[in-house]
Amino acid sequence: MLNYNSPIMETKEYPDIKISEVEPILKINLRGKNRDFVTKVGKELSIIPPVDPNTSSSNEKLNLLWLSPDEWFLYSNNKIELKDSNFLEDSLFNEISKKKLGSVTNVSDHWVKINLSGTKIFDLLSAGCPFNFSNFKNSKGAVTQTLVNHIDVIIHNKNTNELNLFVRRSFSMHLWSWLNDSARFI
Amino acid sequence: MFLINCPYCGERDQSEFSAGGEAHIVRPKQPTELSDDEWAEFLFMRKNIKGIQFERWNHAHGCRKWFNVIRDTSNDKIHAVYKMGEEPPIK
Amino acid sequence: MSKNLRIINSKYIDQTSRISFKFDGKTLYGFKGDTLASALLANDIHLVGRSFKYHRPRGIMACGPEEPNAIVQVGSDASMTEPNTRATEIELYEGLEASSQNCWPSVNFDIGAVNNFFSPLIPAAFYYKTFMWPANFWKLYEYFIRKSAGLGKSPTEPDKDIYDHRYLHCDVLVVGGGISGIIAAKTAAKNNFNTLLIDDKNILGGTTLFQKNECFKINNSYSNEWLKKEIENLKSLKNLTIKTRTSLAAYHSYNYLLARENLTDHLDLNEKKDKIRQRLWKIRAKKVIIATGAMERPLIFNNNDRPGIMLSSSIKKYIDYYGVKCGQQISLFTNNDSAYETAISLSNSGVSVNSVIDIRDKSNSLIVKQAEKLGIKIHWKHTVVNTNGYKKINSIEIMKLSDDGTTVVGKKMKEGCDCLGISGGWTPRVHLFTQSGGKLKFRDNDNVFLPDKSELDQISIGSCNGDFELDEVTKNSVNLINKFLKVNNNDYENLEIISSKEIDKKNIWLLPSDKPLGKTKPFLDFQNDSTANDVKLALREGFKSIEHVKRYTTTGMATDQGKLSNMHALGIIAETAGVKMGELGTTTFRPPYTPLTFGAIVGRNVGEFFDITRKTPIHDWHAKHNAEFENVGQWKRAWYYPIGNENMHEAVQRESKAARDSAGILDASTLGKIDIQGSDASEFLNRVYTNAWSKLEIGKCRYGLMLNEDGMVYDDGVTTRISENHYLMTTTTGGAANVLGKLEDYLQTEWPELDVYLTSVTDHYATVSICGPNSKKILSKVIPDLNLSDKEFPHMSFKNALIDNIKCRVMRISFTGEHSYEINIQSSYGKSLWEKCFEAGKEFNITPYGTETMHLLRAEKGFIIAGQDTDGTMTPVDLQMDWIISKKKYDFIGKRSLYRSDTIRDDRKQLVGLLTDDPKEVLEEGAQIVLETKKQPIEMLGHVTSSYFSPNLNKSIALAVVKNGKKLKGQKMFVPMKNKTINVTITDTVFLDKENKRLNA
Repeated sequence: MLNYNSPIMETKEYPDIKISEVEPILKINLRGKNRDFVTKVGKELSIIPPVDPNTSSSNEKLNLLWLSPDEWFLYSNNKIELKDSNFLEDSLFNEISKKKLGSVTNVSDHWVKINLSGTKIFDLLSAGCPFNFSNFKNSKGAVTQTLVNHIDVIIHNKNTNELNLFVRRSFSMHLWSWLNDSARFI
Repeated sequence: MFLINCPYCGERDQSEFSAGGEAHIVRPKQPTELSDDEWAEFLFMRKNIKGIQFERWNHAHGCRKWFNVIRDTSNDKIHAVYKMGEEPPIK
Repeated sequence: MSKNLRIINSKYIDQTSRISFKFDGKTLYGFKGDTLASALLANDIHLVGRSFKYHRPRGIMACGPEEPNAIVQVGSDASMTEPNTRATEIELYEGLEASSQNCWPSVNFDIGAVNNFFSPLIPAAFYYKTFMWPANFWKLYEYFIRKSAGLGKSPTEPDKDIYDHRYLHCDVLVVGGGISGIIAAKTAAKNNFNTLLIDDKNILGGTTLFQKNECFKINNSYSNEWLKKEIENLKSLKNLTIKTRTSLAAYHSYNYLLARENLTDHLDLNEKKDKIRQRLWKIRAKKVIIATGAMERPLIFNNNDRPGIMLSSSIKKYIDYYGVKCGQQISLFTNNDSAYETAISLSNSGVSVNSVIDIRDKSNSLIVKQAEKLGIKIHWKHTVVNTNGYKKINSIEIMKLSDDGTTVVGKKMKEGCDCLGISGGWTPRVHLFTQSGGKLKFRDNDNVFLPDKSELDQISIGSCNGDFELDEVTKNSVNLINKFLKVNNNDYENLEIISSKEIDKKNIWLLPSDKPLGKTKPFLDFQNDSTANDVKLALREGFKSIEHVKRYTTTGMATDQGKLSNMHALGIIAETAGVKMGELGTTTFRPPYTPLTFGAIVGRNVGEFFDITRKTPIHDWHAKHNAEFENVGQWKRAWYYPIGNENMHEAVQRESKAARDSAGILDASTLGKIDIQGSDASEFLNRVYTNAWSKLEIGKCRYGLMLNEDGMVYDDGVTTRISENHYLMTTTTGGAANVLGKLEDYLQTEWPELDVYLTSVTDHYATVSICGPNSKKILSKVIPDLNLSDKEFPHMSFKNALIDNIKCRVMRISFTGEHSYEINIQSSYGKSLWEKCFEAGKEFNITPYGTETMHLLRAEKGFIIAGQDTDGTMTPVDLQMDWIISKKKYDFIGKRSLYRSDTIRDDRKQLVGLLTDDPKEVLEEGAQIVLETKKQPIEMLGHVTSSYFSPNLNKSIALAVVKNGKKLKGQKMFVPMKNKTINVTITDTVFLDKENKRLNA
């Protein structure tokens, strides 16, 4: 059998900050421009792709994040079985890509999900992130794509003082190490 | 470091963006019909103005969309941002 | 020497906690709350350094960041020592060690002081003029000049301290915690602005904090008492963040500011450990209120630089705040009222004031009257013409000024003193305002530059805006703040203010002496040692622009950026040149306001975090198997895998041989991968690659070259058609992000009509590449149910497969010329797949190989590496890859450029193969290629781009670009090196298996 290896597999705790990798979860990139695409995605996922910039829509299992006017990022809340993940990917691909409504790309291993929680997480990010979190902080579901320590990230405000941060896998070890180094001084 | 008002994501730090040179230079639809000089005009000739300049910027570390910016190069003040394909709001 | 100059009056110095420190090796004592400067003065030490050019003794002059003389080296440890710090800004801590700079062997006996006697021979720009000729002598001069120049010593070991950066966003930033800054911060925070107040001192309050004088009262209290209550009230404001010990370094456009917070510099040595020393705050403020106050000006007169000559306001701070007497017999020399505040403070503290020498005819202000009432002697309309005392002032010479102020008249009087306070009026600190792009205006009546126009959302208030008197400061600040914040704060509406008003003003930039100008030493820039005479000389020699005079005389170019000297330099220039100061303008103030440590600039981007590193999912395996890594962009790629004591060459030779003889395995996960979907995907590829894509069958792969519009090769890679409208493009490792960006650019701007979507999947897939004659056998063990026959699975095709139920894509493509496969699997299984392949290949001696071997193998086949064999000036034709340019396609990126007059030239540099006459001789990459070695100058016809010793051919091979190379096959050429000339022959680019038999072996 092939073994599954996520890059970090750790949880670290500091006063007022907890950082942990949450994998494996499903992640799919969705792109499309027209109304039919939006309708179809809504039908397949029971979530309408949000059209307002920097927002998301969620249900119990899935979150759909606005990335750009023609791009969305889907991820599951919980760890997911491979067969379920394949099934969802295939059905989306068949209904959207094959029907020329847009594109469906599995990016489950392109991104690594890091969960940040605690009252000081925004101080932690501000050590390397130029984004102004003052409104973001208080809007549950808010999404931003920005840089943390010069590395591209997607940040999803999951709850009060709880964020999901997505970083490309190849950068994840470096960012993880930087986050932990920074957390020492918060 | 400027702040740039991405027409899609809102105001962000300049470090999230990359600059793409002069705006409104349209790639000729039929390059093969052009003389060397005409093609060179498209390929190489760029203004470099002290003052109001029309530029292309990309929200490279955000939504990855290209858009246009009207910037005064003498003081970096941005007078307008507008989407690709739109007419400049200021002439 | 050790007189006790302390008095007990200060609430800011804790005289119960004694601190020991070392200065120039000597142990001294001070108290908590002292700065190094105040502690030295309390120990009666004025002499702290030698001047830069003439090595004249210099003493502490000021009490803040403008200090030009008391520049010291802190710390003695090779990693912690820090040069050029201002003693006036160093808070005293237990264990502090500091020493004088720019003197040898000691500050009291300095050999360089001999320069002082030669000083008539060292005028402005002496070094420029003298050491110019002859040019090749500079090497000789430089050694001596470098030795005698410079301030302080650099640390020789890496800095052990920790530094940090932090971004901060606020509605209102208030810079400066003096009286106007406090009013601003309180007003802003009370009106729901998220406010940040910063101050460079350890405590808020500015100079008002120790202003306890009958002439300055608010609501019947001394101004300091009123302000203390205001500061106390700040604590209850929720929206207000206060950062003390935080100095604003830079103010950029868009209200982006950098401030350095000192976190541990004031702590005892043993408390500093494992803490962040300094933090650089990157501040984005919606609105900025500058309340940085003003600096007192010196006066420019003969021998105005002796130790013991200090700014009058600094003497006041030392006595009122630190409880330190700067002398026991103090004289004051002024052109304005503020010296009288010092006189009164001194007198109230029991220090005898000899006299006040005032260049004005009179002054009838409250404060002067109060001084007179205390019996302080005043010499009206007098000036100091000379000072005496070598290591410390001991007397001054005074004369009466003529009516027009240009000469002195009457008899010379001598007055003994051990300290002279000087006050030449006030200069608003407009540095930050001008850094941000603001324009200044000049106010004639008191000769100050003031903030005028700014593009940014900011204001200046208080004395940095030219309001010097207490009633003006409060009234004007309150009005300006209310207007700026669009609020109506009436907290300060009915303040009753008593404030002395200065009515009589007089200014003389360069005070006259009884000696002619050439015989005097009126210092302007104390740190760079330039005098008023130097500036006048520069003007006589024809310099007109102030920027030129500044550079020629170096006035204002020291580490203090001429904080004290600039105004007088400008004044003297204007006067001498006969122009108005307002028209002359100022030199440019540049960030940082005070010097920043390199540590603060780099923050935590050191060591592990110096640069970002990217790792493949298989990285740990490589590391465990002894791989050396190569940086490719940000990636760490396995470079080669030495066994035992193998060096790089030996390892690469072994790996290269194994890959061709049996099997090799390579981690190709770093290649850029772009998922392309959409009904116009084929058309899109037609437009971005030089070759045609419409007819590529589903399940097939094709190599493509991507050009820039200028026709030059940009990137290359293999693209696979996965289904009708679905492709997977690969790019070079280094080009991945740029290629995706460029393709998005075309889709968004030039071809929005195309139905195509791009998604990066670089990190989603791990790519394991197996090559060599046994690769097929190995793959059949890994994926037994995949039909690997050449018919079913030919070269340049792809199959979907399952390995242990995990989906993967197998491409039969080759970058080595061997029969080879690339397996793409989602990254989480990459390492496990690699191990599985390695296990399966063991019986075939499967050999992991790194990037170096990959480069060698492809060079044997003459395959290019974009970025190594191309450099942005190579067209596909130059690369002899004409076959890849579609003749049928109407257009693609760069097509039109391929037949510009320049790109069709015959004599362009073209890619060729190169063989050395001596097969053992390996060429250096980058080496020049020539046809003729005798003729001068030698024409350089090209250079080597790739060069290796091929173990498979047992000879040296190289790729090169050579002018007109295509037609030169068989031509003998030369590669001249430092010690020899290497004979080479131009060949075909393919060295091995020209018939491509090995692909199907």
